[in-house]
Amino acid sequence: MAAKVKVASDWLAGCAGCHMSLLDMDERILKLLEVAELRSTPITDLKHPDAGGVDVGILEGCVNNSANEAVCRQMRSRCKVLIALGDCAVFGGVPTMRNACSSAAALQRAYVETESTVNGSIPQHAEIAVMQDARAIDQVVQVDVNIPGCPPSADAIFYVLTELAAGRKPVLKGKLLDWH
Amino acid sequence: MSDTVNITINGQVVHARIGQSVLQAAQSAGIDVPTLCDHPHLRATGSCRVCLVEIEKQRMLQPACTFPVTEGMVVRTETDKVVEARKFSLQMLFSERNHYCMFCASSGTPETSECELQKLAYRYGLDCFQYPPAWQKEWPVDASRKSFTMDHSRCILCRRCIRACDEIAANHTLGVFQRGAKTMICADDSVTFGQSTCVECGTCLQACPTGALMDKRSSFVGHASECRTVRVTCVGCAVACGLKAMVRGNTVLRLDGDWDEHNAGLLCVKGRFESLRRPENRITKPMIRRDGELVEVGWDEAITYTAGKFKEAQSTAGMISPRFTNETMIAMGAFLNEVLHSDQVTLLHGLVPPLDLEPRAQLKDLEDATCIVVVGEDVLQGQKVLGYLTKRAYDRQASVVVVDDHDTAMDDYATERLHLDAMSRHGPSPFAALKFTYHLSLDGISRLRKILETSERPVVMYGPALSTLVYAALRSLPPHVKFLPLATGSNACGAAQYGIEMREVIADALFVMAGDEPSNGFVLPPASFTVVQAVGHSELTKKADVVLPGRLWTEKRGTIVNIEGRERPVVELTEAPEGIGPDWMPLAMMAAVLGRPGLFATMAQVQNSL
Repeated sequence: MAAKVKVASDWLAGCAGCHMSLLDMDERILKLLEVAELRSTPITDLKHPDAGGVDVGILEGCVNNSANEAVCRQMRSRCKVLIALGDCAVFGGVPTMRNACSSAAALQRAYVETESTVNGSIPQHAEIAVMQDARAIDQVVQVDVNIPGCPPSADAIFYVLTELAAGRKPVLKGKLLDWH
Repeated sequence: MSDTVNITINGQVVHARIGQSVLQAAQSAGIDVPTLCDHPHLRATGSCRVCLVEIEKQRMLQPACTFPVTEGMVVRTETDKVVEARKFSLQMLFSERNHYCMFCASSGTPETSECELQKLAYRYGLDCFQYPPAWQKEWPVDASRKSFTMDHSRCILCRRCIRACDEIAANHTLGVFQRGAKTMICADDSVTFGQSTCVECGTCLQACPTGALMDKRSSFVGHASECRTVRVTCVGCAVACGLKAMVRGNTVLRLDGDWDEHNAGLLCVKGRFESLRRPENRITKPMIRRDGELVEVGWDEAITYTAGKFKEAQSTAGMISPRFTNETMIAMGAFLNEVLHSDQVTLLHGLVPPLDLEPRAQLKDLEDATCIVVVGEDVLQGQKVLGYLTKRAYDRQASVVVVDDHDTAMDDYATERLHLDAMSRHGPSPFAALKFTYHLSLDGISRLRKILETSERPVVMYGPALSTLVYAALRSLPPHVKFLPLATGSNACGAAQYGIEMREVIADALFVMAGDEPSNGFVLPPASFTVVQAVGHSELTKKADVVLPGRLWTEKRGTIVNIEGRERPVVELTEAPEGIGPDWMPLAMMAAVLGRPGLFATMAQVQNSL
C-alpha cells in the first residue's frame, strides 16, 4: 500500500468558505482519507504544518498583512506542492477592493473616522500584524495548483486532492473550472 | 461563379464569397472561431486578437475577423500555436485592469456567465492570472448616466461601444483618450457620460461583452439563465420597436433591442429604460367619489353605478389613450356605438397623417435610402429610432431634407432645409395639436419634387397636421418615392383602422381610458359624469367621479399597428395585481348590465384567438 499523501492547510485573509466547501465533499472525505492524511488544518487540532514538511499544502484566502505573509511563506517552505484554494488565494479576491484606497487611508477610516468612534487611534504593537495591500498567493510565493471559485465546488477540491494523491497533475476544466 | 472562392478551414472545404473575412466564411460553415471585439452587427476592427488563426503562407497568425478570403486559402483555427496565442491574449487582457470576477454582476458559471471574457477564460482553461493585475491604478466608475454605469476596470477596449454609438445609434459620442496602458473609453472630449451628448439609447450597453457597461436596474438581481426571455413590443411610440424582455418571476429586469425585428436591435431611452418605471400611486380597486372623496368599492357596485349613469346621460363620449391595443380600441368603439348609441369616440392624444400614400416604406428602407425627407415632425424627439436611422443615412452621405416651421434637432444633420408655414385652423379646438396646419409653398413643393425625382431610393417621412395641398403634392410624387407616416401616438395607426382619431367631443357622461399614460396634462372636456380608467393616480383621477384600475403595458396581451403598417404583438410579461382584468373588461361588464352580454363573449373570443 502506497504511503498516504500528507496534506496541511491554512487560511489567510479568507472567509473560511473554501474550507466549508472542502467539507461539502461529505462522505467522500472517507475515500480521501484512504489516500491522504490531513496533518494540520485550521479546523482540526493541529494548526501548523509539520516542521519536517508535508507533500501538499493548501492555502485559502489572500495575503493582506505581515502575519498572512509569514504563514504563507512558512507553508511554501514546508510543502512540495502548494495549492491556492479559492478566488481570494488565486486572484486576490474580495479583499483587493481595499487596494483602491491606501492601507493608511483604510486604517484611518476604520479606527479614527468612523461615526461611532470617539478618540480613536490606529493600534500599533509588536504583536499586531502590519497591514499590506491585498494580493494573491502567487504574488508572494510560487503556487503549483490553482483551484478558483468562490468557493470552488467540493467536486473540484475532491478531484484535485485525489489526483495529487495518485501522483497525477490535476487539470481543471468543464464544470470543475468555475469561479462564479 | 466569379465571386465565390474555395478555402479550406480545418481540413473542411468552405465556399466563401469575395469580400468575406475568414471569420465570416468560418461562421457560414458552422465553424466556431472565438471572438471578443467582433459583433455580428458592427464592422470588424481586429483589436482583441482572440480570433487569431493560422493561415498558410502567412508569416504570422492573422485575425480572422479582418483577413479577407482568397482562393485556395488554407486556414487552421485551433492548432497548439493558435491556442497558445489566444491564451496569451486573454492573459494580457486580464492583466490590464482589475478584472476580478467575484464581485461583478456579469460573472457566472461556464453555462450562465454573461461575460464573454470570462467565458473564453473558462473555455481555454485559465485558472489563475498569469500576470498580476495592475491594481495600483484605480480605474474609475462613471455612474453619471441615469440608467447604466461604466466600470472602467471591466473594460477590455474592444471598442464595441464606440462602434455601436457610431454605426448603429449614429450619435458619435464615444471615443478613446490617452494612449497605451492608460487608454480609456471617453465621452465627447472627456466629460462624464451624464454631461455628454449621450442620449442614453443603451446601444453601447447592449453591445458591451463584459461587465464594463452595466444596467442599473437588473444588476445582481438575476442572471439571464434565471429569467425567461420574451419577445415583445415597445408601446412608447408608433415605431413599435421589437424588444427582448428578461423576466424573473413577476418582474421585468431588463429590455434589450431585438436584433431580428424591424428596429434591428436599436432602441431609445424611452423604450429601453423609461418604459419600466413603475407608477407611484397604483390604483388597485374601483373607486367612487362620495362627498368629494374617492372610496374603494367592489367591481359590481362600480359597474352598476357607472352603467346606470351612462344610461341616463343625455350624451356620452369615450376618450382613449393611443397606447391601448387594437382589441381594446375595438371594444371602446363597440361599446360607444352599439351599447350607448354614440358616435363620439376620440383619442386622448395622437395624430395620424393620411395613411394612403404609397408605397409604404419599411424601416429597412431607411438603411439604404439615398434621400430621406422629414416633413413636419421632429423625429429625434417623437420617434427617436427613426431619427437615429436618419442620422445613419446622413453619415453615409445620403441627402437629408428637413421640412419644418421651427428648428428641429435634425437640422444639424440635414443637407437642406425647407420652410413650413403654420396656419391657424378656424374654430376652437380643445387639443393644442389640432390648432395649426402646416403648409409648404409651391416653390418648396417644386424644390422637393426636383430633389426626389433625381434620387434613386428616396423615403419621405411625413407628419400629421400638414395641409391638404401638401398631402396632395406628396401623393403626386413619382412612384419610386416611399412613404412613412409619422403618427404621434403609439397605436394611433391601429386606432385609425377602427375609425378612432383625435376629435372634439361634447358629452354629459365621459368614459376616459387613460391606461398607463406616463404624463399628466390632459384637459378633459367638461362633463357632469366622468369615469377614468388608469394605472396610477394623476390630475385626471383627481377630478373623476369614478376611477377604475387598469393594466401596465407589461401586463397586457394584444396587437398594435406601427407606422410601417406592421401588426406587432403586445405580450404579457408579468401578472397584473389581483382584480385587474384586461382593459376592455369594464366596457364588457357595463355592456352586460345594459343588456348586451354578447359583447363580453365576443371580446373573450377575440382575446383567446390571439
